[in-house]
Amino acid sequence: MSEVRLQVRNISKHFGITRALDNISFDINKGEVHALIGENGSGKSTMTNMLTGIYPMETGKFILDGKEVHAKNQVDANNHGISIIVQELGTLSGLTVAENIFLGHEERFIKGGFRNTQAMNAEANRLLHEYGFDYIKANVLVDEYNFEDRKLIEIVKATYFKPKIVVIDETTTALSQEGREELYKQMNRIRDEGNTVIFISHDLSEILDKSDTITILRDGEYIDTVKSSDVTEDDLKKLMVGREVTGKYYRNDYGEKVSEEVVLSVKNVTVKGLIKDVSFDLHKGEILGFGGLSESGMHEIGKAIFGASYDREGEVVLANGTQINDIPSAIKNSIAYTSKDRDNESVVINQSIKDNIALPSLDDLTYGKTKFIDWKKVKNFANKFAADMSVKMVNVDQFVSELSGGNKQKVVLARWIGKGSDIVVLDSPTRGIDIKVKQDIYQLMDQMRKEGKSIIMISEELMELIGMCDRIIIMKDGAIKGELPRSRELNENSLISMMV
Amino acid sequence: MSDAITEKNKEQELKSLRRMRLIRALLPIVGLILVCVLFNFLTHGRLLKHWPLAMSQVYVTMIASMGVFFIMTMGGLDFSQGSILGLSAIVCCYLSHYNIPLAIVGGMVTGALIGAVNGYFYVNRKIKSFIVTICTMFLFRGLIKFLTTNSPVAGSAALVSIDSTMFKVICTSCVVFMGFICFSCTKFGVYLRAIGAGEKAAMFAGIRTDRMKFYVYVLAGAITGFAAFISSIKVGSVTSSGGNQLETQILIALVLGGMPISGGAMARFSNCVVGSLLYVVLSSGLTMIGFTTQMMQLIQGVIFLLFVALFADRKSISVIK
Repeated sequence: MSEVRLQVRNISKHFGITRALDNISFDINKGEVHALIGENGSGKSTMTNMLTGIYPMETGKFILDGKEVHAKNQVDANNHGISIIVQELGTLSGLTVAENIFLGHEERFIKGGFRNTQAMNAEANRLLHEYGFDYIKANVLVDEYNFEDRKLIEIVKATYFKPKIVVIDETTTALSQEGREELYKQMNRIRDEGNTVIFISHDLSEILDKSDTITILRDGEYIDTVKSSDVTEDDLKKLMVGREVTGKYYRNDYGEKVSEEVVLSVKNVTVKGLIKDVSFDLHKGEILGFGGLSESGMHEIGKAIFGASYDREGEVVLANGTQINDIPSAIKNSIAYTSKDRDNESVVINQSIKDNIALPSLDDLTYGKTKFIDWKKVKNFANKFAADMSVKMVNVDQFVSELSGGNKQKVVLARWIGKGSDIVVLDSPTRGIDIKVKQDIYQLMDQMRKEGKSIIMISEELMELIGMCDRIIIMKDGAIKGELPRSRELNENSLISMMV
Repeated sequence: MSDAITEKNKEQELKSLRRMRLIRALLPIVGLILVCVLFNFLTHGRLLKHWPLAMSQVYVTMIASMGVFFIMTMGGLDFSQGSILGLSAIVCCYLSHYNIPLAIVGGMVTGALIGAVNGYFYVNRKIKSFIVTICTMFLFRGLIKFLTTNSPVAGSAALVSIDSTMFKVICTSCVVFMGFICFSCTKFGVYLRAIGAGEKAAMFAGIRTDRMKFYVYVLAGAITGFAAFISSIKVGSVTSSGGNQLETQILIALVLGGMPISGGAMARFSNCVVGSLLYVVLSSGLTMIGFTTQMMQLIQGVIFLLFVALFADRKSISVIK
């Protein structure tokens, strides 16, 4: 009945030695909202990024309306009738709204080598009016609008030329309810015009509600394409994970009492432009979660505790009164930190596993009391903790850049476990990590908690916060919005309603 | 099935990576032997016969290149070494009329101060190191020219009387040995390589990266200040061109020695030792064959470009700071 718009044929993609996509083939029809789902690292974004020319093609092809398309870049993709709204901010600072909307397509307004800015602004204003975003003005710099409005500008940019396919890559998590409604409205409009939306989201109920067809990917492989009306949320979960998700995935205790002993206090911490006046206590043996939108300032909390914030006000104090103001003193006082930006801030990427694990512990790995490093001790140390964490590697001399995301994370964790840190701050610890390693990390956290170590877990994945934490603090606009204790009744919606 | 294939690919890729690393480590040493044999043959044995003469150039280059080696390991660059050497040599020669130990210390302090200027602008003012050091190169070259306008600055007779091959060999060996111990057997070396391989991650692992970067520039300046002393006892005076082009010599020497231009974990201490030997043999060999200075510069340029192009680690390079 419905006509095929896009044929995905034998698409594969590798990043170094990691396989991101493995021989994917399926069809996407005209006039539908086609959802792509899968765990982090399953290859959804990789595929759409190849389609829209953000990543170069490797093998396989995309056939759009019977003709092969091979977009070299986003502008080229636009010319083929494909556009994308990305997860992160996709507008360019320092340009006006109109310049952003027509980025790469200015030739329409160029006469005799000069750009007719007036005509461009007029056209942009006309479009904004058509979409009902009258309060956004074409000649104003995008910087003057907030995150939400900038997303709306992106919607106009990606859809005004009536593309055949619009990719919407996890845009909704960043939007408030109104913003979402606006996006849904546009998605329906595109579908009703006979064009196609490829919709990527983590929110399964949203997927079931808004899409017509769902394709599931897992670890870079194609699993199935189903009709939304035929499946339930649990069916989708099972397809994504590949088996029933059992209770052992997260910790399954409830009602355990957390120690009253405070190990770390954060008092009135402010980091200009990121967090304001945040105060809380961390208890011994507790997993304290931080949730919120990615711009909510929660990621900065981890840095502030670790002494890594630039220009921080307020105090981070240990139980014994020691103030933490810089990274070396944080490490000396048994605080560990793993960053969300794993490749830049956690692992020294172009260095051996051995050096990475031993880096903060070198002072303890010398000959007796001298300053000379005992390389044998370093090797044994690295081997021991890499083995403890079951890092998949050839040997500890292998470079970290050759490891998968999950194994990189294990190297970082091995470093801090080797150092014997008692307060562990984990920022997005399972980001882009496959399920098996995820499970390892959850179990490790549970074990550390039982050993009396305190963990702060900052995450954008609400399910893992709910599953792992004794308390969850929700952040909004740089401040603490509320706090939720661990309970069986907690669900994603109760967190989301506080976040937005 | 597909897993087995990717597994195999992985193995192969790792193998070729390791082979590449081995070649990179061995090539400079093989090159050194080859160049020695080749030029000895081309000069009909004159190179070996005049060995001490050829070697007389190596001391300054080797000592000074060690400081730059440290800087490059942590991902920086330094073009001001020639000017540091010139100015330190002026101070050294001037003070040698009073006291020799004072002259050594004076030279090193001068070098350290210029290094501190480099470090200050690089670290505190966050200007790329090659921009900063090119500026200081011109700045201090100007100062050298000003100080030597009327006549070269001559050292005392006592200074020149120290000059002997034995003394220079011992001094160079001592400095290089100390550098080797610090780089290979203490956390100094590990930290330097970590900063070069990923500065932000190094910072998050507890290294005081800014402080480290500053002091390494100071250290490199002081080391070159010491090289200025060795240079002064050999030459006895400083003209306006004192230390001219030392920075390029050092850079070529390090690259010939297999030093990755972006620094990081692949830097080995042998890079600066083998590299400076290779450079000196190459340049004295070419001179003995009868190439003119202009011709030499051309050849050096070609070799430099060739080595950088061949061995640049493109995966890890983003920006050279």
